[in-house]
Parts: sequence; structure tokens; C-alpha cells
Amino acid sequence: MFGEQQRFVLLLIAPAALLLLLFQVVPIFIGANASFRNWALYDPKKTWVGFDHYAAVLSDPAFLYVVLPNTFLFMALSVAGALLAGLALALLLNRPFRGQKLVQTILLVPLMVAPVVAAIMVRWIFNDQFGIVNVVLEAVGLEGQPWLVQRWSAFGIILLTDIWLWTPWFTLLLLAGLQSLPKEPFEAAAIDGTTTWRVFRFLTLPMLRPVIVVCVVIRAIDAFRTFDIVWTLTGGGPGRATELFSLYAYVHAFLNLDLGRGSAAAIVGGLIILVIGVALFRLVDRIAKA
Amino acid sequence: MERLAKLAMATTVALVAAAGSALAQVKELRIGYQPSPIQDASIAMFESWGAKNGVKIVKVPNSYGVYVEKMTASLTSNSDQYDIIWHNDDWGQTWAHLLEPTDDVNANKFADKWSMAPVVFANAQGQNTVVPMGQTFSVFFYRSDLVKPEEVPKTLEQLVTVSKKLQADGKVKFGYVGGMSMNNSWFSWFWSMWGNNCDVLLPPYERDNKKLAEAGWKSGMTEPCMQQTAEYWWDAINTHKIVPRGMPAYDRNEANAVFMSGDAAFTVADSLWWSTFNDPAKSKIAGKVAATRFPLGPNRARPFAWNDIWGWAIPKSIAPERKKLAKEMLEAMMLDEEGQLKLWKATGAPPPNTTFWPKIAAADPFMALLKESVLDSPDKVRGAYYFPQWPAVHKAFNDTVTKAVTGKREDIAKVLAEGAPLVSKAAQ
Amino acid sequence: MAMVMRSAFLPQLPPWGRKAMFALVLAAICFAFAFPVLWLILTSLRPESGVYYVHRGTEFTFGNFAEVLREDRIVEAFLNSALIATLATVFSLLVTVSSGYMLSRFTGPASRLWFGTIYVFRCVPYISWVLPLYFVNQSWGIYDTYVGLLLPHVAVHICFFSWLMKGFFDGIDPSMEYAAMIDGCTRWGAFIRVAVPSALPAISALAVLCWLFTWNEFLFALILTGNRVPMITVVMAQFVTEMGLRWNLMAATAVMALAPAFLIALFGQKYVIRGLRI
Repeated sequence: MFGEQQRFVLLLIAPAALLLLLFQVVPIFIGANASFRNWALYDPKKTWVGFDHYAAVLSDPAFLYVVLPNTFLFMALSVAGALLAGLALALLLNRPFRGQKLVQTILLVPLMVAPVVAAIMVRWIFNDQFGIVNVVLEAVGLEGQPWLVQRWSAFGIILLTDIWLWTPWFTLLLLAGLQSLPKEPFEAAAIDGTTTWRVFRFLTLPMLRPVIVVCVVIRAIDAFRTFDIVWTLTGGGPGRATELFSLYAYVHAFLNLDLGRGSAAAIVGGLIILVIGVALFRLVDRIAKA
Repeated sequence: MERLAKLAMATTVALVAAAGSALAQVKELRIGYQPSPIQDASIAMFESWGAKNGVKIVKVPNSYGVYVEKMTASLTSNSDQYDIIWHNDDWGQTWAHLLEPTDDVNANKFADKWSMAPVVFANAQGQNTVVPMGQTFSVFFYRSDLVKPEEVPKTLEQLVTVSKKLQADGKVKFGYVGGMSMNNSWFSWFWSMWGNNCDVLLPPYERDNKKLAEAGWKSGMTEPCMQQTAEYWWDAINTHKIVPRGMPAYDRNEANAVFMSGDAAFTVADSLWWSTFNDPAKSKIAGKVAATRFPLGPNRARPFAWNDIWGWAIPKSIAPERKKLAKEMLEAMMLDEEGQLKLWKATGAPPPNTTFWPKIAAADPFMALLKESVLDSPDKVRGAYYFPQWPAVHKAFNDTVTKAVTGKREDIAKVLAEGAPLVSKAAQ
Repeated sequence: MAMVMRSAFLPQLPPWGRKAMFALVLAAICFAFAFPVLWLILTSLRPESGVYYVHRGTEFTFGNFAEVLREDRIVEAFLNSALIATLATVFSLLVTVSSGYMLSRFTGPASRLWFGTIYVFRCVPYISWVLPLYFVNQSWGIYDTYVGLLLPHVAVHICFFSWLMKGFFDGIDPSMEYAAMIDGCTRWGAFIRVAVPSALPAISALAVLCWLFTWNEFLFALILTGNRVPMITVVMAQFVTEMGLRWNLMAATAVMALAPAFLIALFGQKYVIRGLRI
């Protein structure tokens, strides 16, 4: 039926495709099916309701004017922050100095901690009574802040935690990229006496661009669907001020036990990421070809 | 899709089924619960019954964060994972149709009538679906080393003045602390609201779904009493500074930590924390804690009490002989005086059998207080609403009041008015 | 930005000043990165009544570690997490190395379709499928089993790792494989004997990352396991979310959970940096 090459190709992806089918495609289809039905967890009537859940999500002012803007803002700032920090650290680690190995290991610490534990710790560190942050602020004569009840400080803490967690990723990927760059152009630049900044701006950065763009695409997709650290840190609060899209879906599906509505929200979010991802991906392609 | 998937995994199913049927030979009961002192004490009674009757008790602890959703999914998929599960008034009506009626558990006649009311736990046929584990409600705790019983605030206004005095005297950092964030509304928002003739839905204190529906699921958010409640906490935080500024984000654990570290004079917490507050290994205020009735707001003069239960329930879908065995065990638990006394001592939650109460109260002043001020009180409030949308209503309520109390004072009325239709809509 | 500032004002400093400045900046960065973990370690050494104000008081104890290790459930959770993380790493690499190879070496509709599929499913948020996944696991009778946790973990890595593996194979010249095939190797032989060995740096990089990912994963473990397969992240979170305020015990468990991750990262980082070249 198939030629030898087709058989080979199919066999190469068969195990991955099978697992993907069983544990991702099937559940996603169950969720997608639920999003068109009256499917409360406690009373799964499963009657067809068409696009009612989608209409409810897309006409919910909280989703349109709070959740989506929060999510986009979070995605942009988190990716930008982790990219900048990661780039700076990668450049730092790319030059030899005493203790380089030690510094590199310490910078990887966020990779070693379970995000949920990190979020619990950060919540405690920023607690207005017990947290060390306020203690230090008060020790130097500043006023301690109730970090988690003010919208922007709560948002900032989530962002900071996320950037802290993901910077090592960027550092690793960019450092790997830096170390694989050809040596010659840099040696030539050194002979010409070009300044560090110009070398970075006109040599390093353009050569790193493909790596950067891939990092950004992958990270942007993940940032869009961030869930556990936000849930642990603020639960979307105060009020709904830091609610992100995945929390919106979670609250409907898990707290309100409405699988239909929760799934519809998740799928709307999934479609949005898909479009953003394709747009970013086009960018990758164009830059890679250029 | 599910059917297709089932086919694909037929072998696994067969294997597991084989293992499952091998297990069924053993006389055992599987308990789905969430680890906590009161549930542990109740299960200890199951275990002593099991040891006497040759039944193995299999404890299956679940994570609290996803207990309801996982258990609900398990109940609706008839998955036969548990014989007895932890049940709570909050989701009494969410599960009623999925649970085995327990009217034939004879010892249920000794249970507290108020907390077993049909409006909370009865199914559509009017049959009861729960066996109580213990009474779970909050009381107003105060530091007995700082405040004499006669000085304890009786009104919300006095709570401010007494707190300010204690703080001014350098006795304590804060007057009051209590949980406030989502799913912790009981420990600041609800009691202060109920003490002011106020409630989430109208009419206040009504829990009959028919009457709530007749009233159009109208929310109490725009009532003057609700604005007073929100302004009270706004002032407590910003003007009087008698509570921590971070309190609107506190959960019950954080609030209890402040109280147990000796930084607050008053708190509201479940009575089952009594033993923990008095445990010197965990608490810096052990032996310096007392409890009393809730302070009242300007709209209410009669004291009130709040009283609910945690309980055990049996999934409808399990085999009849398992149901029978489970009921026998629950019956024995209800009559186990020694075990219930241990449950009381380990927690501070009144045990499920009301006939034991007078004896415990005679020996233990804390129980005497609970009995007088809560259990025997004629003016009781139920802690939740009893329809499946309650979690959504609760979240809409908490989001609104949190937004109000963390915003500008002059915006409180506006924020509450914006939240009112959301609360009302979530209920329908 | 830091780079710009340094290059602007550093030249005006004497060499020792420049060095001191550099060391200071480094120390500050390291401190900021390690702080939450340092705090965790400090918390784990405090007695139960001292955890509220971690910075106050001078009583320290190793009792938390002893108490945690006395609990069978926690020891079991450690073993489970280690086992699942290791197996998930092995299986994830087995299936994604071949899938990434296919994406890199073959063009055409099959390849494009597979890549599109991977991409689409990478974008689907977890939230939309963990709960259905729970139903699936239940209906297949693998809820709360090793298999029921392991396979979804492998599945979740397929998209990302296939994508990365494709990148690695793209960077490896295929002419060696053609040469091997001309010498009489089968396609499988060329893949296993030629392509896989030359991709070893990348494979070891992914192995390190995959292990760390799975070891620290929370949401799947929370939803897909109950009592029989306790996982370390879930057990840790339980200390503070439901058993009240056992900060000290959570911290002690977390510090112990950090140890294997630290060793893996310590010895694995050079492979990661060598291998992660997209």
C-alpha cells in the first residue's frame, strides 16, 4: 500500500501521533464537544446548545474588557522581560571570569523549583505582615505595602515571578546560541576596535535573531496560557483585577462546575493564541529566510 | 469519541477490571475525604468499628483545591471509586440527586435538626442524603489575656473602639483579622453582613430556593446595609487601621497565622480551630483564647448564630451490599460516644450526636459556650446557599465587595451597584 | 540595558574598581535569583511556631526534615516523582527524536500536516483538556495509576520537543546519512546509527529539561492522581493549602525536592548549553 519511504515516515511519527491522539486530541475533542452542549459537571444533560456558550463568553464584558487585556499585557511584558533579562545574562555568562560556573548554576535556580512552590513562597515573601519585603522596606524607613490588594502591585508580582521562572530558559537558549556563533566576525571587529555596544548591536544581535524569535514564539504561547502561578499568587484578585484567560476558563469549568462554558472559553483562548502564534511564526520564517 | 477511546484501551480496562474484582472479594470500605483534624477524627471512629467488624477501611485523601470537581465528576460517571465521601452543606444540593438516601440510618434522629434541614440536604423526593460528621461553624474568638469578657465588643462600632484602644496601649498590632478573599468570605464579609440584617440574596437569611426565585434572585448588593458593611471594612482598613492592610487578599490560613502569632486581638474562625489556637507548638497565644457571639451592626439588635455541618454521604452508584455496610458503619459512628468525645477534643467542633452535647458542655466550658450561644440559639443563619450556582454567586459577590473595599471610598456605592446584576445573574 | 550602562561608565574606573563593580553586580544578580530559594531554606529550618515571622527569632531546627521523612506518604511521593520524571524523560525522547527527525528530513504533505498538528496542539491551553483528560483516564481505568500520569506527560512534551528536535536535526548535515545508505544501511540504520548519535548533545539537553519539567509539574499531578500515586509537588502544596499552616514542613519537603533537581541542573547544564542550539 505504501512505499518503503512512506512506511518509514509514518513509523517515525506513529508513536508520537498515537500518544498525541489518545491523550491530547481525544480530551480536546471531548472538551470541544462539551462546549456546544449543556454540560454541567453535576448534571451532564449533554443537550445540544449550539454556540450559546461561545456567545456568552464573547459577550461577557469581564472577558472582553478585563480578562483579555490583562492576558495580552501579561504576555507582552512577561516575554519582553524574560527576553531582556535572559539576553543580558547570556551575554554576561558568555565571557570568561572567575566563578563563571557558580554564577551560571545560581542563575538556573528558578528551573529547579516547582513553580507552585515558588508561587507559594513569593506570596509569603510579599505578605503585608510576615513578608520579608515589607520588613526590609520598613527597616530602611519606607512604608510597607499591601502588595496583593492593589491592582498594579499584584500584577507586578505575578509578572516578576513569571519572569524569574522563565529567564533561565532564555539564558540557556541564548547562551547556547551565542556559543555557536562563528568567531571570525568578532575577531575582525576586535581588530577594528569597534565598541562593545556596536559589536552587540550590529553583529551579535542580528546573528542571534533566529534564536530569539523562536524563543519568543514558544514563550508567548506559554505565557498566554499561564495558570498555576497566578492562581496561587492572587487567584485573579483583588476582585478580578489580575484575572487571566486561563483563570477565567478554570473558574467556569472547575469552580462553577460548568464544563460547557469553561471549555468554550478555553477554546476561544486557544484560537486567539493560534492566530498570534501563526503571525509570530510568519515572522520567524521571514527572518530566517532574510 | 469516548466510545472509540474505550475500544482502543480495552486491554487496559480488562486488566484493571480483573484487579478490581479481586479487590471486591475483600471486605472493605473506601473513604474519599480531605485530610483535616475533624475528618481524621471521624475516620478514626470508622477504623475502630472496622477493626471490630473485620472491615478494612481504605482511606483515600483528596486535595482540597479540586475535591468538589473531581468528586462530582466521579459521582456522575458512576465510577465506583468510593463507598463513603466527605459531604458539606455548600454542595448539598449539587450532589443530592447523585447520593444514596440515608433516611434509614436510624441514628440520624440524634443529629442536629437545623443543620440537617431538607432545604440543604434533601433530594427531589424529600429524602435526606447525609449523615453528619460534626458541626462546622465560626465563632468570634478573642484574646482573653487582653480583653475581659465584659469588655468584648458587642457591636461592630465597639470592635473599632476596643481595637483602637488595644492598639494605642501597645497591647497588640491589630484589633481584628479574618480571611476575606474568595472562598474565605465567611471570616469577615459574611458574619459582619449577617450581623447587619444583610445577605447576598434577598430576602435576608432566606434559603428556600422557591422563595428566592419568587423574589427574582434579587441580590442584596444595593441595600443600604451592604454599603454600610463595605464602608465598615474600608474604614477599618484605611481610617481606623484596626486590621492589616493586606486583609482583602487574606485566606483563612493567613488570617489565622496573624492571630496565632499574637498580632491580633480578635478573629473569626471555625470553632474547629480551637485546639490549634491552643496548641503551644503552633500558636503563641495558647491558653489565652476565648470565644463569644459575633458583634452586631447598626441594623440588628438580636444576636444571631451560624450553624452548619460537615457530613458523610454514600454515592448512589455503588453496589447495594456496600451501601448497607456503609450505613452500618455510619450508624455505629453516630453512636460512638468515646470517639465523638475524641473528635471534640481534637478539634473544638461539636460532635454529630446531639445527645452527647449536654455531658460535654457540663465538663467543658468552651462547649457550654458554643451550646448556649450557637447550638441552642433560636436565631440561626445558614452559611451558604443551596443551589448548584452558589459558587458562581459567591465569586460574583466576593469580586464585587473586594473591588469596593480596595477602591476609593466614594466609589463603594457605584461598585456595589455594578456588581448587583452580576450576583443576581449568576444565581439564575 | 545593563551592558550599555556598564560600557559607558566603566572605562573611567581603575581596573580594580571595574573588577569590584563587576563582582558586586554579579553578587546582586545572583542574590536576587536565589532569594526565594534561600528564603525557602531558612523557613525549612525554623520550628513550627517560628514560621510566621521567619526573620525573627534565632531558634533553628532540623526537626522539620525528620518529621517529613517519617511520613511514608512523602517518601513514597519522592520515589513516585523520580520514577515518573525518569520514565517520562525516556519515553518523551524515544517518541520525539523520531518525530523531529521526520520533520527535519522529509518535506511534503505528510510532514506539513504533522507539523501543523503539532503546532495547533501546542497552542491549546491545558485548562481546556485536563478535566476531559480526567474523564478519559477514568473511562480507561488508568486514573491514579503510573500509566495514567506518565502517558499524558509524554503526550504533552510531544509538540514542543518534536519542534526542538526538528531544529537540531536541521543543523546536522544529512549527507552522512545518505553516505551510510549508499554503503548499504537501511533508512532505520541511517537514522539510529548515524543521525541519533550526532544529535546526542541535543538529546541530552532535552533529557535534562524534560526531567526538570516533569519533576516540578503540578497541574497534571493534581488532577490525574489521587491517593495511590502521590506526587511530590501535590504533597508539598497540601501542607499549606489544606492542613492549615505547615509552612515549615512544606519548606522542608521543598528543599529536599530541590536537591535532585539541583544535581541534575548542576551536572546537566553543560550538556544543555552545548545541545540547545536551535
